[in-house]
Amino acid sequence: MAVTNASGVSLSLNDRMIAGFLSLCIGAFLVFGAGLANSAVLHDTAHDVRHSFGFPCH
Amino acid sequence: MIVKTLLAAICAGLIAGLFMTAAQELRVVPLILHAETYEGEPAPGAPAAHEHSARGSGALFATFAAALQPVTPAYAHDGEAHAEGGIMFGMSRFSGTLIANLVTGAGFGLLLGGIGILTGSPPTLRTGLTWGALGWLSVHMLPALGLPPELPGFPAADLGDRQTWWLATTALSALGLGLIALRREIVAKGAGFVLLALPHIYGAPQPGDIASPVPAVLGAEFAVAALATTLAFWLVLGTVSGALNDRFLKAA
Repeated sequence: MAVTNASGVSLSLNDRMIAGFLSLCIGAFLVFGAGLANSAVLHDTAHDVRHSFGFPCH
Repeated sequence: MIVKTLLAAICAGLIAGLFMTAAQELRVVPLILHAETYEGEPAPGAPAAHEHSARGSGALFATFAAALQPVTPAYAHDGEAHAEGGIMFGMSRFSGTLIANLVTGAGFGLLLGGIGILTGSPPTLRTGLTWGALGWLSVHMLPALGLPPELPGFPAADLGDRQTWWLATTALSALGLGLIALRREIVAKGAGFVLLALPHIYGAPQPGDIASPVPAVLGAEFAVAALATTLAFWLVLGTVSGALNDRFLKAA
């Protein structure tokens, strides 16, 4: 695959790790809330989205 | 710097979520509404399984919601008993979908950005399309082999089992694709393919009884439409993430 390191990102390793993990955590939280959380209100609000993204629903 | 990275990912996700909402309204949502008209009917041998999607009834939002509502609200579940639930803040169904798409888009954007940073090769304009395609494969296409996108009213196994299988499959697929795409060693690529195959060898939880009141043609159309719109979503997400990364991270 054509993924290279030529992205021009100039974060230090430590900053990169923090940014990466923070990003993963917030992202997972948002996707979980919209797609998987077992709450009736969240389910009904995101109902059509859950079905169209193929999240297991109902 | 960290904030900038996160903002770029969120911004790309919001744009992709907005795009996804438009794409969904064209084909996917009409199919869901169509399927819901069958949902209440008794299937041969299968009890109509669930209740959901209460109509949002906040009077305060009613006019605002009506303005945002391009689809005639065909709430199939009116008249069913629902003790709890309902759309957040009494919003219209469309607004709920829009917000959920924005949240999901931002979430996937952050996940993509986070994986990109941790692997040392965040999406660029050039690689964004590939990142998007890999994201679609691991979150939608590969899990769909075991659990195809389902319409309301379709028979399905226990929700918890399916969510567990879906999560495991998504994680293993992402890991496998990452090994195949980013590592040069032939052993790593082989291990990647094994990871991709594992959840399917184990098998997705399947319903015991596949009788359904919803016509199968609708299900087939829906599965294709859902996979196609999510592919478009991921390609947009990857490309926009790449463009934003190029623009803002390079400048820093």
